[in-house]
Amino acid sequence: MVKQLGFVFDIDLCIGCKTCEVACRNENQTVGTVRWRKVTRQVDGSFLSLSCNHCSSPECFRVCPENAFTKRMDGIVEIHAERCSGCGLCMEACPYQAPQFDPITHKVTKCQMCNDRIDQGLQAACVEACPTEALTVKDLYTFCQVNGMGTTLGFPDTRLTNPSIVFLPEKERKRYFQMR
Amino acid sequence: MKIFRNACPRNCYASCSMLSYVNNGKLVKVAGDDQHGYTKGNLCAKGYAFTQYVTHPNRLKYPIMQSPRSSGNWKRISWEQAYTIIADKIIELNERYGSNLASGYNKFSGNIGLLHYAAEAMFNSIGPHTKPKGNLCLTTGDEALKERFKQFEQSSPEDMAAADLIVIWGANPAVTNVPQMKYIFQARRAGAKVAVIDPVFTETAAKADLYIQIKPGTDGLLALYAAKRIADSSFFDENYAQDCTNNFIQFKRIMEKVPSADKVSELTNAPISAIEELAELYIHAASSVTWIGFGMQRTNIGGENVQAISALAAMTGFLQKKKGKLFYAHDDLEQFPLHLLKFPEQKHSKAQASRAIDINSFAKNALELSDPPLKFLWIASRNPFSQDNNLQSWMKLIQQLELIVTVDLYMTKTAEISDIVLPAATHFEEMDLIVSYWHHWISINEQSLAGYFESKSDLQITRELTNKLNERSPGFSTFPSELEALDWIQKELSPEIQELYGIQDYTDLLSGPHLKKPEKIPAKEKFSFNILDVSGYLENIKVQKDSLLFPYQLITPQSLLTIHSQYEHLSWLIGTDENSEDTIAEISAIAAEENKLMPEDSIEIFNENGWVDAKVKVNPYLAKNIVLVKQAGKKPINWIIVHQESDQCQETSTHFYDSKVNIRKKKVSRNG
Ligand code: SF4
Ligand code: SF4
Ligand code: SF4
Repeated sequence: MVKQLGFVFDIDLCIGCKTCEVACRNENQTVGTVRWRKVTRQVDGSFLSLSCNHCSSPECFRVCPENAFTKRMDGIVEIHAERCSGCGLCMEACPYQAPQFDPITHKVTKCQMCNDRIDQGLQAACVEACPTEALTVKDLYTFCQVNGMGTTLGFPDTRLTNPSIVFLPEKERKRYFQMR
Repeated sequence: MKIFRNACPRNCYASCSMLSYVNNGKLVKVAGDDQHGYTKGNLCAKGYAFTQYVTHPNRLKYPIMQSPRSSGNWKRISWEQAYTIIADKIIELNERYGSNLASGYNKFSGNIGLLHYAAEAMFNSIGPHTKPKGNLCLTTGDEALKERFKQFEQSSPEDMAAADLIVIWGANPAVTNVPQMKYIFQARRAGAKVAVIDPVFTETAAKADLYIQIKPGTDGLLALYAAKRIADSSFFDENYAQDCTNNFIQFKRIMEKVPSADKVSELTNAPISAIEELAELYIHAASSVTWIGFGMQRTNIGGENVQAISALAAMTGFLQKKKGKLFYAHDDLEQFPLHLLKFPEQKHSKAQASRAIDINSFAKNALELSDPPLKFLWIASRNPFSQDNNLQSWMKLIQQLELIVTVDLYMTKTAEISDIVLPAATHFEEMDLIVSYWHHWISINEQSLAGYFESKSDLQITRELTNKLNERSPGFSTFPSELEALDWIQKELSPEIQELYGIQDYTDLLSGPHLKKPEKIPAKEKFSFNILDVSGYLENIKVQKDSLLFPYQLITPQSLLTIHSQYEHLSWLIGTDENSEDTIAEISAIAAEENKLMPEDSIEIFNENGWVDAKVKVNPYLAKNIVLVKQAGKKPINWIIVHQESDQCQETSTHFYDSKVNIRKKKVSRNG
């Protein structure tokens, strides 16, 4: 592979506004309960915005009996609807609940990192919509930031799939709460 | 695929311009508009959910009527039938009482498009009637700022990016003004400090470099202390300040009454170190932003707090050579002709003028009207049964009303108690003009979709209903129903407005929103400080006694994915994790312990106005005497909120945050 595109998520900048999540739905018009990107609040009050992580060792790819998954040269993991039989094995295998069942087509769908947009030189819809630049897409082969972390509070075990995501930590802040 | 230019008409700071992508008459997606200098091509989550909003199965499709009222026994009627019933009622009331005073409307900001003033024009065109006056939302703060600055000019919020200190007093842009966060973070990236002063640890507070949690209603004191510290500091050029004002000496004398840090700390409940740190930030900042949120003025003491903070803003801005800026909201809108809002009232031989009643206590005031009593009510751009205060009075009022008509897009709480509900258009299905109260851009909203089933715009309804009135009773309305939406838009773009926004006509707006030219600042003119009575203010702070019966202050902010009660039906928004069917009451850990409550427990939040069921959520950051409940929902919290009139100012916003409540565990009945 020449590249590994992946998300860089800056916890310090995310305000939990869910713009990314709904922008994804607007762009991809996903049906019903299908949420390719999800913003969740963690126990410490910080937020995570997660989708498919376009893993280096995608379990979905490995377990799919129909070979519906492919990994592009730039690292994007795609699912090809025409090959998907809807068996759901990938949904069980993926630690991040990225592949989701579309109740209308009876097939599995997931974030394709807005591959069409990326091919046109545009940003992924969620990245473009994020007002704080908390969410970006970078080539993780070359991306380097000293405080980058492979995992964070609330993120599932990464050992199985080696996900293409980097987290930037929250910074210290001064807070004065009421005394009484 | 066709692309149209729209603008979000919600009562929101951002008034985003947006592009709609339409394929075969269907809205396939929306996008932000790069041409909009404030939103720069972004929308918020609610904006991106519009594709779902427009064709949601719950959207009202046809005029409907129920009988009896509140039975839910709806049947579809034609527009023709609806107009006939409504026109006949208005005319019958006119004959019964000799004027139209028994007919009235209640309308507010559900859609801030200029053409939505068609409802006001409709009523003016039939002569004296009953109407609301005032502004629920901003008046208290507006009046306080006017008192201080005569005319307060708000600069562009885009400028926040260049500040080196941003202090946000009781606003939560991470939830209510998402696009503004871009500029705040830009400033922060360039090294600016961001401070948030708020009784509630909000999403914005969580991102600030400095957060100070204070006792509600004491913000002004913190500000006055910082102002005093600035005046005493060696950085302050007193001669310059004296040059700009007529009464700086007097102002200084007043500042002497501001108490010492330990006293301020005692009254605000903020540690001395926090108070000092804020003052230091203001003293050393070369260009500060002071942003006064709407939340803090929703109390009886709100006006004084706004005045106090604006004194601080003056000390950091034009009283020094510094570039300090004050933000609240502006009234660019008032520069427009507003032909529909100001449509001339038809003269009447007996009734002199309309009866205007304070919108803050609309139902209560309406009940007091006699000769004639209010009998017909038209409700548009408004959901009082979820969002107004004093719903007990509303319940009484509807008893006396003979006909209630609501125009809306969804079956709201208010629609549920109406006799006739008329389906309204979304902004994609009508043409309009949108002027923000925050940034200085004007946007046109093109019609990009045909009407959804039988939905109609407020303007179209006014045109057709006034025609019907005139058909039944010639000359009843003076409304020029032949004029189309575009005619009204062209009338709004008067030569002055064209000059102000640098446009020739409306077609210029089709290629993108336009920015208002900066006002010419008059050559240095001395201004007089209207000085807050500090001693009186301190007294007012102190008398805010804790009530034994109702020890908690109820604070009811907006939730992230709705604006008031709008968008409640959308699964894209409410399907996300943080929404639940139940009303959630956030309480402090101490309050939970004192009341022996656990998370998820069912409680009643109650006061003398009634109670609302809720589920407990323990918020570790909440002060012990606050109960926090988000607006709207199935059983809206506003059921127990009653606006208390202020004894100090005549015109105010609704004091939603003055309510005191108590909580108790809900008794589980044996039969489940
Ligand atoms: S996140 Fe899940 S679906 Fe995406 S590549 Fe990894 S294993 Fe596959
Ligand atoms: S990259 Fe595209 S498909 Fe993936 S989460 Fe973002 S918007 Fe959705
Ligand atoms: S849009 Fe950006 S700031 Fe908002 S929730 Fe998503 S990642 Fe966080």
